[in-house]
Amino acid sequence: MTKTVPKALTVMLVDNEPARAAIVEQAMSDSGYRVIRRLENAKNLTQAVTESQPDMVIIDIESPDRDMLENMSRLTHDNPRPIVMFADEGSAEQVEAAIHAGVSAYVVDGIQSNSVNALLQVAIARFREFHALRSELESVRSQLEDRKTIDKAKGLIMKHQKCDEPAAYKALRKLAMDRSQRIIDVARNVISVMELMGEES
Amino acid sequence: MDCAPFVIAQEKGYFLEHGVNVLLSKEASWASVRDKVAFKVLDGAHMLASMPVAASLGVGTVKTAMHTSFVVSHNGNGITVSNRLHERMKLYANDVSDLQSGTALKHLVSKRCSKDSPLRFAIVYPYSSHNYQLRDWLDKAGIDPDKDVQIIVIPPTKMIDYLKLGEIDGYCVGEPWNSLAEEQKVGKMLTTGFDIWGSAPEKVFGVNSQWAERNPQAHCAIIKALDAACKWVSQTSNQPELLHILSHPDYLNCPEEQLTSTFKAGQYSLSGQINQCFSGQDVNLPKPSYALWIMAKMYRWQQLAYVPALNDVAEQVYRQDLYCKIFEQAPEIASNWKLSDEQQQTWLDDVASSKVLRISQILSNQ
Repeated sequence: MTKTVPKALTVMLVDNEPARAAIVEQAMSDSGYRVIRRLENAKNLTQAVTESQPDMVIIDIESPDRDMLENMSRLTHDNPRPIVMFADEGSAEQVEAAIHAGVSAYVVDGIQSNSVNALLQVAIARFREFHALRSELESVRSQLEDRKTIDKAKGLIMKHQKCDEPAAYKALRKLAMDRSQRIIDVARNVISVMELMGEES
Repeated sequence: MDCAPFVIAQEKGYFLEHGVNVLLSKEASWASVRDKVAFKVLDGAHMLASMPVAASLGVGTVKTAMHTSFVVSHNGNGITVSNRLHERMKLYANDVSDLQSGTALKHLVSKRCSKDSPLRFAIVYPYSSHNYQLRDWLDKAGIDPDKDVQIIVIPPTKMIDYLKLGEIDGYCVGEPWNSLAEEQKVGKMLTTGFDIWGSAPEKVFGVNSQWAERNPQAHCAIIKALDAACKWVSQTSNQPELLHILSHPDYLNCPEEQLTSTFKAGQYSLSGQINQCFSGQDVNLPKPSYALWIMAKMYRWQQLAYVPALNDVAEQVYRQDLYCKIFEQAPEIASNWKLSDEQQQTWLDDVASSKVLRISQILSNQ
């Protein structure tokens, strides 16, 4: 065993979003990094960093616990320092991308900036992916909600006008067209007006 | 709590009245505020008064030009200890002033064995008035903040819980977390930032200097709107409405009652006044002398090495010239605050060696 294998960078993940943490962890190990610890909350965060001595900590930029890490880096230079401190060493773009993607990172001194960049890139990609997935999920969810609201409005119109469902829908659509409003907004208006008039059962 | 002027400027339509469309975003940490302003995710922010100084000097972050032309509030911090520590301090106190001054704490600390774990105090951010005020208070009582006690960072919302659980023995934090601890009977506030330093800027409207240069009109409009909001917030008759708005889920997301204690003056058992204020005599004027003060505190507590041109930095970060232009005031004459060449050499050390103890001495020292 004479060949020296470069030591894999060790990473600690702090994320209260378990699904995202799992995706990031998988991607990290696929790229050859070693995730030595995954924390969901910051209880004992500073202790965990002291014990595990990671090369890098990846933490959600929206985490209220980031300021704890800020204090650590002040105490000794062995502790990881905020990634923004490295932004003037040729990785400003990468740091900017990270901040926009919601990733923040703390890095110990002496790690090559290209290794940091490569690792950051993996995290950024996964954070973006997760964000896209979640927006999609939310839009599906809100479409379902809209569907229910429109159905309710139709029901009220059917009851009030004593008409069938297609006629009620047509009435809603016509209102929306005439007022250049979205059908969901018209449906909401119909519901609130009917409720005001005590039409709701 | 002291973000109130921003909330009011939005809710009362002052931003729009001054022709600027502002989107407020709630940030979870001071580090996030700093990063987002530095990388222009945010154009400006309600920030710690020390933050534009730290960013402009590259203390704890990448060097980014930030400045303030408007101070949003003065004071608001307090030092609170747990009931348990308070009881133990009382054994070493002859009177209330021994508790307030930290003398009792000094006696208690010196009686501890070396194997006892050190007392833990919490602050919200290392580069903040909370940190410097707590350190100055300990130091004045003869307690070494780095050796005799441990200072850690905890988000303000978790302070009271940690105090209850005994994870920390005390903290220095802004309102409402001191009056709340008193009200919930989990701690005693011993002293205030105002008692320690005298009246001092606490939060400012800090901006990325590049943004401000490119958007002078928007910058000026925001400042005018904030000025109107600060006046509104200061009106006692507006308090019920203010608390109602602040408690909304979009803002502080807490019951109104949680905020009322901040405005009830004089209910503290031990300490004097918190003296949080948003408007009035020179409160909103960004005096460069405060930047000098903060640099000295950073130096005193080993966050900053030597700074060659103190006056220049102070002038570039605390832009009283812009404030005076906006409100058509005559700026403070330079000789009132500028350090002489000789003073520039000794200023940092003078503050560090406690030759200058209170902010007001900056002026009287000239």
